[in-house]
Amino acid sequence: MKRGHQRAVAWRQAAPVLGALGVAIVLLVGVLSRIEVHTDMLAFLPAGETPAARLVLREAREGSATGLILIGIDGAPVAELARISRSVAGGLTRSGLFAVVAGGQAAISEQDEALLFAHRYLLSPTTSEAAFTVPALHADLERLLGQLRSSAAPLAVRYGLRDPPGAFLAAMGSWIGPSRIRTIDGAWFAPDRDRALLLARTRAGGMDVPGQEAASAAIEHAFATANPGGARLLEAGPAVFARDAARAMRTDVHRIAIVSTLLVILLLWWRFRSPLVIAAIAVPVVSSIAVAALVVQIVFGAVHGVALGFGVTMLGVSVDYPVLMIGHRKSGETAAATRARIGPAFILAVITATLGLTAMVFSGFPGLSQLGVFSAIGLITAAMVTWFVLPPLVVAANLAPVAAGSAAWLGRIEALRRWRLVGLLPVVLAAGWLAARGGPAWEDDLENLSPVPAASRALDAELRGELGAPDVGQLVVVQGEDDQAVLRRQEALIPLLDHLKAEGLIDGADLAARLLPSATTQEARRAALPDPDVLAERLDAARVGLPFRPTAFGAFVAAVRASRSMAPLLPADLSGTPFGARLTPLLFARDAAWQGPIALQGVRNPARLAVALADGGVVTDGVATHREADPGLVGSPAAARNAAIYVDMRAELSHILSGYTARAWRWLGWSGVLVLAALAVGLHAPARVLRVLGSVVAAMLVTVAVLTLLGTRLSLIHLVALQLVAGVGLDYALFFARRQLDAEERARTLRTLVTCNAMTLLTFGMLAACQTPLLRDIGMTVACGAVSAMGFAFLFAGERPATGVPRTGSNERFG
Amino acid sequence: MMGSVAERRATFHEERRFAALTEPLESTGHLLYRRPDHLEKITDAPQAERLVVDGDRLSLTVAGGPTHVTDLAAQPELRALVDAMRGPLAGDTAALERAFKVAVRGTKAAWRLDLTPIDPRAAKLLTEVRISGSGPTMREVLLVQANGDTQYMSIEP
Repeated sequence: MKRGHQRAVAWRQAAPVLGALGVAIVLLVGVLSRIEVHTDMLAFLPAGETPAARLVLREAREGSATGLILIGIDGAPVAELARISRSVAGGLTRSGLFAVVAGGQAAISEQDEALLFAHRYLLSPTTSEAAFTVPALHADLERLLGQLRSSAAPLAVRYGLRDPPGAFLAAMGSWIGPSRIRTIDGAWFAPDRDRALLLARTRAGGMDVPGQEAASAAIEHAFATANPGGARLLEAGPAVFARDAARAMRTDVHRIAIVSTLLVILLLWWRFRSPLVIAAIAVPVVSSIAVAALVVQIVFGAVHGVALGFGVTMLGVSVDYPVLMIGHRKSGETAAATRARIGPAFILAVITATLGLTAMVFSGFPGLSQLGVFSAIGLITAAMVTWFVLPPLVVAANLAPVAAGSAAWLGRIEALRRWRLVGLLPVVLAAGWLAARGGPAWEDDLENLSPVPAASRALDAELRGELGAPDVGQLVVVQGEDDQAVLRRQEALIPLLDHLKAEGLIDGADLAARLLPSATTQEARRAALPDPDVLAERLDAARVGLPFRPTAFGAFVAAVRASRSMAPLLPADLSGTPFGARLTPLLFARDAAWQGPIALQGVRNPARLAVALADGGVVTDGVATHREADPGLVGSPAAARNAAIYVDMRAELSHILSGYTARAWRWLGWSGVLVLAALAVGLHAPARVLRVLGSVVAAMLVTVAVLTLLGTRLSLIHLVALQLVAGVGLDYALFFARRQLDAEERARTLRTLVTCNAMTLLTFGMLAACQTPLLRDIGMTVACGAVSAMGFAFLFAGERPATGVPRTGSNERFG
Repeated sequence: MMGSVAERRATFHEERRFAALTEPLESTGHLLYRRPDHLEKITDAPQAERLVVDGDRLSLTVAGGPTHVTDLAAQPELRALVDAMRGPLAGDTAALERAFKVAVRGTKAAWRLDLTPIDPRAAKLLTEVRISGSGPTMREVLLVQANGDTQYMSIEP
């Protein structure tokens, strides 16, 4: 009977807490099932600042080049690699998921060859009136006779007799381009090592994650069914990066969510020994995630996986609020009494932590803004729920820390504060060392902020080099109102490009006009072709003294006759052919204009190249000049006049990055001022403001020094993470700095803050173990910062004990 | 019957007949074969030429000009020509049978191989290859092109 009564009381106490938690969980599940989670990493990066850079960045995200997958197979004998490669190529072709699979077949298909051969006199740069004069033809025939004597005779018979001027070989040379690939047993191999190479382009776009997952599964399946033995499959390319980043992130987010929750629960169990306390603490935390995810979904239209992962980690900070509330409650106390005791510090801590996130929210970096909004909303929600909803629940269930009250340890620990001057030593050392080395190392290369791990990028560069696929880092973007206009403009640039190559400024250039001349040029070449009867007479004159039969060149004369009435070959004529697949990335319509990016190869000195291009009338879209450039350049009438723009992506991205970093610094300054103002209002006494701020600044200095010592180059990401450190540090310092506390309350504060610190450390420590570089950097910085913030807040922000504190401490225990 | 030696040298005399020409083109030079797949054909007169095949890589230098390197895998027609020469020298009947329908006639002392290319692209160019020899030595090679052009080579060890 009595036991039943107790159980009923316990249930009455627990019911509100469990009910509130139930509501919060239902809310969270409801929100999570509604929101749209994105995982593609490129959405995290900013758009370019200039029109051309935006175009290039967008092309890098969405263009047909994004479906390119570079495949390498190594780690087995050459013959075995060739067999696996052929088998993989066959499997990929059969899967139907790839528009192009290349890995060993002839560089040019029969169908393409026939097309090229038929149009040779319109396509070849060798066609001119001079090429069809008697002396020129005589020289051609002598050369042809030499070829017939040589081992190349079969080719001379096949092409030479039908085309003495060699127009076909010249046209084909442009299509094939220089390539260092070796072919062994019908498979492509890298020039300098035993690695089979394949090139595939997916039908799905590079950012179509399900499409890429299917393509990736097809590649792995094709490799597995080829009985690879000990051979190794290597994959690179934008689509592979996007897929890997998305996979890594999903794994990370899942792991963080599960492991940090478990760790936090374990810690709270150790601290409070009560499932009901943990349930109560979970109420604000669970509802904060739900509200934050909902707000981000509404503001941004979707929630990025990184924001979710980071937001879940913000648990480690937002969970501080309920812990501070419950940890500071005396047993039996009313809600109002607890609020009154911790109120000022609590409110100030929430305000300053939220202000600390403003730099992230206003960084202008799409991904970081989302992180900032998620975290700020999460913090505010957790604080509000803690303040308004939690106290009644806690009182109803009569929750309070188990080991309330002071203990002998408090005095001993607080005695450490007498050594606070020693605590200045690491700060002075850190500041001195940083000053001596001229400040921390800064990351100025946006590529290093890329979510793609450095090893994958290195592999990509290696495979690209071996396959001879151009890098997209150096481009001249040519635009026009239609494809022919683009081709004509490119043709005007060809002499300049040839000159640059001769000067050694570039190794080569890949452009559409070299593959398919404009209709205007083709028509001009057609007009240069002689009348067939005149040509026959000239050939008769040209073969005097040479052993050619009169009938030897019938096919040649017929081809010239046919060419004279042939319509120019247009890009549309190539659609659906392998040539079309080669041409599409170099000539395409976008934004109501046609784009013809010229990929420059082997650029060693971008600055000199920019000058040389400027001499040739090509605008540079770089740091130096693009401020003055007309922002409406793309697609405007100005574009028609001067539509060639040199884009150095590396410089462009560095420029973008420095813009964002400058912006983040500005916001850091502003939020610093705001925090200072909030502290001045909240704390009144200048000495306390100084102690609180001093401990935070000390923590940030030491963190920066430690990161630099570890060889980290600081970036925008670290800058915003430091803001978070400041927010957390202020939390600690404000609670330590509270006035007129008895020993019991001080012990509660110390215990509670240590709990908070441990939770932050656990969750952000988890983040530091992530594969996603962005999350790892934030985790590393915050974990390192939180520890030093705790130390310095304890040393500097708390009151220095009076002399003989150990005794006072133990006296207080009895008083 | 063939391919028992690691390295082999020989001189050759070649005669090419083309439908487009009024007279045959003759040339002389020497051959070098090294196991398993290295073949050199050095033409001395009337026009110096050096043809080297190593595996799938064919390099051709005509009259001191630049060396052209071709990938045989990408050129089935050329590959058939090379296989026809290299197969008998290497004694690699399997390689020969991959590329050609092979008919063997005669005795060990006086044999003849009739090869017809299997690859359709190669068959467009090359109708047949006839090789004759005695014992381990190749004596004569006759290539008949699809257009009727012929290339006849007699080999002296």
